Amino acid sequence: MVCLDGEEIMNNKSVRYGSIIIGLAVLVLLPIVITDRYIQHIMVLAGIYVLLAISWNFLAGFAGQLNLGHAAFFGIGAYASALISMHLHISPWLGLLLGGFIAAIFGGLLGIPSFRLSGPFLAITTIGFSEIMRMIAMNWVGLTRGSLGLYGIPPLTPIRFGEDRAIEFVTEASAYYVILLLVFAVVYFIRKLHRSEFGISVESLREDELGAESIGINTSQYKLAVFVISAFIAGTAGAFYAHYVGLISPNMLSLGITFSIITMVMVGGLGTITGPIIGAVVLTSLSEGLRFVEDAINLDIRMIIYGIILILVILFMRQGLIGVFGGFSRYFNQKPEASR
Amino acid sequence: MIILEGKKVTKRFGGLVAVNAVDFELRKGEILGMIGPNGAGKTTLINMISGFYPADEGSILFNNEDITRLKSSDINRKGICRTFQIVRIFPKLTIADNVRSALVDRKSRSPWKVVLDSLLKSNKKQSTQGIEEKAADLLNLVGLYDFRHELAENLPYAYTKRLEIARSLATNPEVLLLDEPTSGMNPKEQNDQIDLIHTINEQGISIIIIEHVMRVIMSISDRLMVLHYGEKIADGVPKTIYSDPKVIEAYLGGEAHVEH
Repeated sequence: MVCLDGEEIMNNKSVRYGSIIIGLAVLVLLPIVITDRYIQHIMVLAGIYVLLAISWNFLAGFAGQLNLGHAAFFGIGAYASALISMHLHISPWLGLLLGGFIAAIFGGLLGIPSFRLSGPFLAITTIGFSEIMRMIAMNWVGLTRGSLGLYGIPPLTPIRFGEDRAIEFVTEASAYYVILLLVFAVVYFIRKLHRSEFGISVESLREDELGAESIGINTSQYKLAVFVISAFIAGTAGAFYAHYVGLISPNMLSLGITFSIITMVMVGGLGTITGPIIGAVVLTSLSEGLRFVEDAINLDIRMIIYGIILILVILFMRQGLIGVFGGFSRYFNQKPEASR
Repeated sequence: MIILEGKKVTKRFGGLVAVNAVDFELRKGEILGMIGPNGAGKTTLINMISGFYPADEGSILFNNEDITRLKSSDINRKGICRTFQIVRIFPKLTIADNVRSALVDRKSRSPWKVVLDSLLKSNKKQSTQGIEEKAADLLNLVGLYDFRHELAENLPYAYTKRLEIARSLATNPEVLLLDEPTSGMNPKEQNDQIDLIHTINEQGISIIIIEHVMRVIMSISDRLMVLHYGEKIADGVPKTIYSDPKVIEAYLGGEAHVEH
């Protein structure tokens, strides 16, 4: 029997699983080792940005749909879950899902123009969408309290076992475990999708839309699906953020947030699975570090630094950190077949 | 038996009539050659059959079913596949993935079913039975098996044309529309391409082929159809076409574009 990839599948399976297990153990033990609550808070933020970066990369890196309004999904998820739990007294846990669903609906709406638009035209449309959403959050004062934002959002409720035992979700460490779980789930499903029949269809349409149509790929429907899935993840991240911080404002929907997400993905490596994760963790840490510099010199220096990083990465490191690491690992694991 | 039929098919671009009330028919198992000077409307006709342009007037029937208004992806799912004059392969995917992408079963599943299957079923179970073997067979057929791990963008031009044909065959078409499959090839590569097209045809696939190189089209076609300024001026076996005064006029009287 002829097989296409037989020889590669066996490539160091045990080493790979071993390193994954060690990585997981480190991630789980981290809040026990690092007890500083501020650093734990940064770890939670990093987790939220990981979700945002993965979801943006799914749209832009895998499907080639340049969405410059991604923060809108983040904000919609946050506002939806916050308002639902404040006014309808629905559990914030359910709110995580509902925030994702409502963002997914808007994702579907934004996906519709992508049937006909691509590249810069789609990008401009998405900026318009995100600004409209921000304006609604700013000006629908009766619902959103405008630029004051929503505060007093209930935190994730304790999970009770019987009468007197419960897991509380008030500390940074407990929030860290929730976001860690969300990140695991999202990485698992995105990885699975990436390697699936859906994944190869989506990559085909990114490469050549007409070519994809010619082999029976209904590009409109696939793009719609990608928008919906991506928005769902970003919306869930937003809902989690709302219940974690307890305070949200229209700033969440700003282009600055989208810009940060894009920088993270570009720094990590566009179109890869691990790239957005690495990029989000590195840049969240960096940006919190810069906060001290900002306080000292009293200037909003972070966006300037992000901009410079983005330009440098695009000029000199197009494949991101993953490309750099990949270069190393290829160098050490070079197989005779790989060299031409 | 007629597998594909066009009735008074017309396409206008603004004031220009690119294809004017053209009737055509393709019999099952046949290779129909389409020739004509540049701008005669050959590619436009292929674009209409494959659903990339909507026809302004007339109708196109595939197995007696009207497909005139269908989307291009749906026409492929019915069983018609096309290639492009300027290849539209997937440059950043490997050769193998280019073919795999077309082997996904889309005939019996809607896009959303593919999404659900991809999310819920294990990746090994969901893939169409024997997808790897089929990909290997197709790559062997077009002679690209040894390059299967290369990115498609690294292929020389002549090979990209063959990759596109392999990808088309992966969708298991009844009718294949080939838009200048030997352009940009040297004579040796052209001969290989002729052999490949014959092999495909012997598997029972009916073919419409646009070609400028007379040597190729004469040796390959069962029947020829000549377009000139959007109108069909001749239709018949290659020998009679070759001596048809209208055809000679079209080729030599206008812009001469005969390559030998």
